[in-house]
Amino acid sequence: MSASSTSNACKLLLLGRCLRAVLLSVAIQFLLLTVFLLFVNFQLLHPLAWVTGTLRLVASWYTWFASIPLVASVVLYGVVLCQQHLSERPYCPTRYRWLLHYGPCKVLFLGAHLLVGLLTAWLYTGYLHTDYQHLRYTCYGQDCISAYHVYLLGIGLSAGCYYFVSVHMRQEISIEFPIVEHSQAEKMRELLYGSLAKALVRSLLPTLSYTAVFWLFGPMICHKLSHILSVDMDERLEGFFGVATNVRLLFYGYLLTAQILSNMHLMRCFYGILLSEDLPLVVTKPRAAFAHEQDITLVAGLGVFNVYVVQCLAAHYFYKLALRKNSAQRAEIFQLTEPGNRPANWRSLCDQCLSILGSFTEELTESMQKISVLKGAQSLPMPKITESLTASLMAEKVLLRQYNQIHGIRPIVSPTCEDGVDRPADGMRHVPNWCERVSTQLELSLQRLLQRVPGIVYFFKEPEGSKTTFLLANSLPVVYLTQALALVCAASLKEDPYGVVQKDLAAIIKAINKLRNELDKLSNVIGNIRAPSSSFNVLRCAVRRSLYAICNSFCDYLGDLLPPGEELRQLQDLVCQE
Amino acid sequence: MAALSNLKQCPPFSTLPDLALRHNHIPELERYPQINLNSELLANPAGQRFYGGQSFVSVNEGVLKRITRTFFDGGFWESLEEARSPKSREQAPLIAQAGDLIARLLGLATGLRLRILPHTQELSAERIAQFAETRDWLNSDVRYLAWNLHLFSLAVAGVDDVVRIYKKSSSATTATVLKSPSQTQITCMSWRPLCAAEIVIGCRQGLCFWEVENTLHLGRTNAPSKIFKHPNNLPITSMQWNRDGTQLATASIGDRSIIIWQPDNGMMQPLKRLGPPGSLLKWSPDNDWLFAATVDRVFRVWNCHQQWTTERWVCGPGGYIQTACWSPCGRFLLFVSSAEPILYRLQFVQQSLLSSSADEKEILPIADLNACSIDTNRTLIGGPAQQLAWDPHGNYLVVTFKSTNCIAVFRTFIQKFDLQISAAYYLSGETAAEHPSFICFQPLYKDNDRSVLTIAWSSGRIQYYAFD
Repeated sequence: MSASSTSNACKLLLLGRCLRAVLLSVAIQFLLLTVFLLFVNFQLLHPLAWVTGTLRLVASWYTWFASIPLVASVVLYGVVLCQQHLSERPYCPTRYRWLLHYGPCKVLFLGAHLLVGLLTAWLYTGYLHTDYQHLRYTCYGQDCISAYHVYLLGIGLSAGCYYFVSVHMRQEISIEFPIVEHSQAEKMRELLYGSLAKALVRSLLPTLSYTAVFWLFGPMICHKLSHILSVDMDERLEGFFGVATNVRLLFYGYLLTAQILSNMHLMRCFYGILLSEDLPLVVTKPRAAFAHEQDITLVAGLGVFNVYVVQCLAAHYFYKLALRKNSAQRAEIFQLTEPGNRPANWRSLCDQCLSILGSFTEELTESMQKISVLKGAQSLPMPKITESLTASLMAEKVLLRQYNQIHGIRPIVSPTCEDGVDRPADGMRHVPNWCERVSTQLELSLQRLLQRVPGIVYFFKEPEGSKTTFLLANSLPVVYLTQALALVCAASLKEDPYGVVQKDLAAIIKAINKLRNELDKLSNVIGNIRAPSSSFNVLRCAVRRSLYAICNSFCDYLGDLLPPGEELRQLQDLVCQE
Repeated sequence: MAALSNLKQCPPFSTLPDLALRHNHIPELERYPQINLNSELLANPAGQRFYGGQSFVSVNEGVLKRITRTFFDGGFWESLEEARSPKSREQAPLIAQAGDLIARLLGLATGLRLRILPHTQELSAERIAQFAETRDWLNSDVRYLAWNLHLFSLAVAGVDDVVRIYKKSSSATTATVLKSPSQTQITCMSWRPLCAAEIVIGCRQGLCFWEVENTLHLGRTNAPSKIFKHPNNLPITSMQWNRDGTQLATASIGDRSIIIWQPDNGMMQPLKRLGPPGSLLKWSPDNDWLFAATVDRVFRVWNCHQQWTTERWVCGPGGYIQTACWSPCGRFLLFVSSAEPILYRLQFVQQSLLSSSADEKEILPIADLNACSIDTNRTLIGGPAQQLAWDPHGNYLVVTFKSTNCIAVFRTFIQKFDLQISAAYYLSGETAAEHPSFICFQPLYKDNDRSVLTIAWSSGRIQYYAFD
C-alpha cells in the first residue's frame, strides 16, 4: 500500500467516525432542547403535566420542521470541524502566511458558530412566551419590533462568537487521548454531565457582558431594524433598569448561552472521543494474495505525515502495544519473515521511528538556532586562558560562563576582537567602493523605514521561537513513539529470540539522547518563547524516561553498545547516579 | 477456621533451629545508612524549621489593608480570622463585629451542610492517622519510607514534615533534605518509575514533586518542582505510580473519587463512583488491577487492562480495609480489615485462560492473626493488623499489628492457581516497648537480589533485615 493510498484509507476511516460525530451532534440538539424546555416550562405543582407536556412539545411536528435549519447548520459545523481535523497542518512562519492559509477556514468556522448560535436562539425562542417569539409584535394596534426577540437572537450570535474566540480562534484543533479508558457510554455520560454543569458557570460572564453591550447599543440596533422593517420601536428595554429588572429575559438569555456553549463543547468533544478510538492497524504487512488489501500497517500509519490525527493514532497504538504485558502483536515485531528469515517488521518499524525522531530533532535544532538567547549563548567566547590564571580561578570562570549561558545572560560589553579572529590570511582587506557603500546604506535605511510602518513587523516577520512552538505543539506522535520504542527495546531483552533489536540499539539510544540534549538546552529558554509549556514538559519527560528505560535495561552493555566518549559517560551517569 | 495458618506456633527469630534462616546479617547491610530519626529530630526540632520568611520583620498596617493582604495571601477564611483577631478588634471594633456576624452565618451554613453531607467535614490529623498505614502516624518519628525503584536511595519522611534522602553509606549529615512550607502532614511518598531522582510526596496540601539532585546548581532554590492540589483542597492519603511512571493514582479520605494524574501535562481524571471516600490504593505489579479501599466496608478492584471497569466488594463483618498488598506475580491480593484479625486472599485468575468467565475471583481467609502469647513473659503477637508487606521474591509476607509490638513473618508459596502460607517466625524490637511504625521492602536492584525488609521502629531507629 503506497503512502497516498494509506493516507486515503485512514481518511476514509476517520471520515466514517466524523459522520458518527455529526449524527451524535444532531441527536444532542434534541436532548438539549428537551432540557431547555424542562427548565422554561417548569411547573412545581403539576410535575407529570410538566414532563409529558415537554416531551409532547419535543416530539411535535413543529419541532421537527423548525429544527431543520438548526440541524443543517450543525452539519455544516461538523463538516468544518472534520476538515480541520483531517487537513494538513503546514508551518506558517509569519502571521500573514497563517492568515493566508488558515484565514478562510477560520472565517468559515466563525460563520458556522454564528449560524449555530443564531438558529439555536431562533428555534428556542419559538417555545417561549409570545412576547419573545417573533421579531414583530402588535403594540397598541401598531406593528412594533420586539426588543426581547432581538436580545435573544443577539445572545445566540454572541454566544457562538464567544465560544469561537475563546476556543478555536488561536488554537489548532488537537486530539487528546483520555487518561483512563472507559466504555463509550460512560465517556458520553461523563461528558454530558460535565459539559452541562460547566456551561452553567461558564455562561454567566458572557451573558452579563452581552447584556451590558445590549444596554448600550441595543436601542440603536432596534432603531435600525425598525427602520428596515418599517415598524415602530419597542421601548421596553430602554435604559439600564429596563434591561436589568427584566429577570425573566435575563434568565432566558443565560439559559440560552449555557445551552449554546455546552452544545458546541459537546460537538467538539464528540469528535475528540470518536477520533481517538484505536485505529485497526497491523504489525505485519500482509503478503499472501488473498490478504485483505485494506489492512493498514503500523509503519504506514506512522508515515502519514499529512494527517496529524492518523500519525497520533498510529503512535498511540504503538505505545499501547509496547505497554501491554503479553502482546502477540509485540511478538510479531521480533519475528523473522518466511521465507528469507529477515526481520522485516522490526527493520521497517525501526527505520520509520528513527527517521521521524531524527527529522524532529533536526527541525528542533534548526528552529532553536533562531532563538536569540540560545544564539547569544552559543556565540559567547570561551574565557581566554592565560598563564597567570590559576586552575581554580579558571574553573570558576568556566562555571560562571556556564551559568550565564544557562540563564541567557550576555556581557554588556561586546567581546573584543584584539586577536584578529576574522583577519584574512594574506593581510589584505576588501574595501567596498562608494557605490556599494551607498547601496548598502540605502538598503538598511529602507529596511528600517519599512519596519517602522505599523503592522509590517507584526504580519511579515517570523516571531521568535515560532517554529519551536509549532514543533512542540505537534509533538504528540514523538512522545508516544519514543516511549514505545524504549519499551519495545527493554522488552526485547526477554522477548526477542533472534536478537533483531540488538543491532539498532546504539542508533536508538543516540537518537533519543540527541533529542534529550536539545530539549535540555531548550528548557533554559522555554520561558522566553510562547511555546506551550505542557507540551514541552510532556515531551521532555517522555524522552528522559525513555532514555532511562533503555539505559537501565541495557546498563551492563552500554560500554559495548556505544564508543567510549562523552555520550557514554553521560548515559552511564544517568543510570548510576549514586 | 482451624485449618487457617495462625501465629501460635510462631518461634522467635533468635531460637530458630535452622541456622540458615538466622543468618540475616549480610556484609552488604553494613553499607546501608545508619538512621536514627529520633536523634536527628532532637538535633533539629520542628520548632527550628526555617522557611525563609522568618527573617523578615512585620510592619504595622491598617486593619483594612491587613485584611486585604491576608485575603490575597491566604484566602477568604484567613482574612475572616484576621478581621476577628484581637488586634483588629482593638483597632476597628466594627469590622470585628461584622466579621463575627459573617462567621456566625457561615458557621450555621456549614453546620447545615454537615448534617446533610457528613463526609464533607474537614479532615483532622486524627482522622488521617486512623486510615494511615503507619502505626501511630500522629506521633511516630517516621511517617513513611520509600525506596527508589532503580537506585539505592531511601526517602524517610519524619514527623517534622521533612523528607531525608539517604544513599549508600550516607549519614544524617550527608542526607539530602526536602522541606517546604507547602509540605506538611506527610502521609505517603513514591519515587517515580523510570526516573532516577523524582519523588512525589503526598501531604495535607496535595502533591509535592521534587527533583532530587546530588549537586544543587548555582542559584537554584531548594523547592518542589511542582505542587498539585487536590481539586477540593483535601489532603492526599494514598498514592501510587503506574509501572511506566506516566500516571499517578491518588486517593483522599475526604473524596469519593480516585484521581488519576498525568503530572507531565498537569491533567487529571477522577474515577467517580458513589460510595464512601477512598483511603488506600494499591496498583498490581503489572498494572492490570487497581485496588481501592474506602473508609467504610466497601472496596473496589478496578480492571485497568483495556477499558477501566470496576467491581464492588463489601467487607462482611464491617470495618474498613486497613492494609493490602499484591503478590509480586500480581495474581493474589492479600488484605486485612479493621474489624477482624483475619488475613484474606483475593485471587485473580488469568483472563486468557478462562475467557468465558473472564473475571472469576474469590475471597478466601488464609491466616488467623488473632493475638496469642509467644513466650513465658506473656508477650503477645497478633491482633488487628496494621500493615502488610510482601517480599519481591514472593517468599515472605511480613505483618505488623496495631496493638502488639512484634512483627510476624509468614512463609508464602505461590503456585500458579494457589497460595500457601505458614507462620515462620517473629521479629521484635530492641526493647519490649519498641513497636514497628512502618515497614517496606527494598526493591530488587541489579547488584542486589536479596529481599531486604526496612523497619522504622517507634524509637526512630531504622533497621534493615535481609531475607534469604
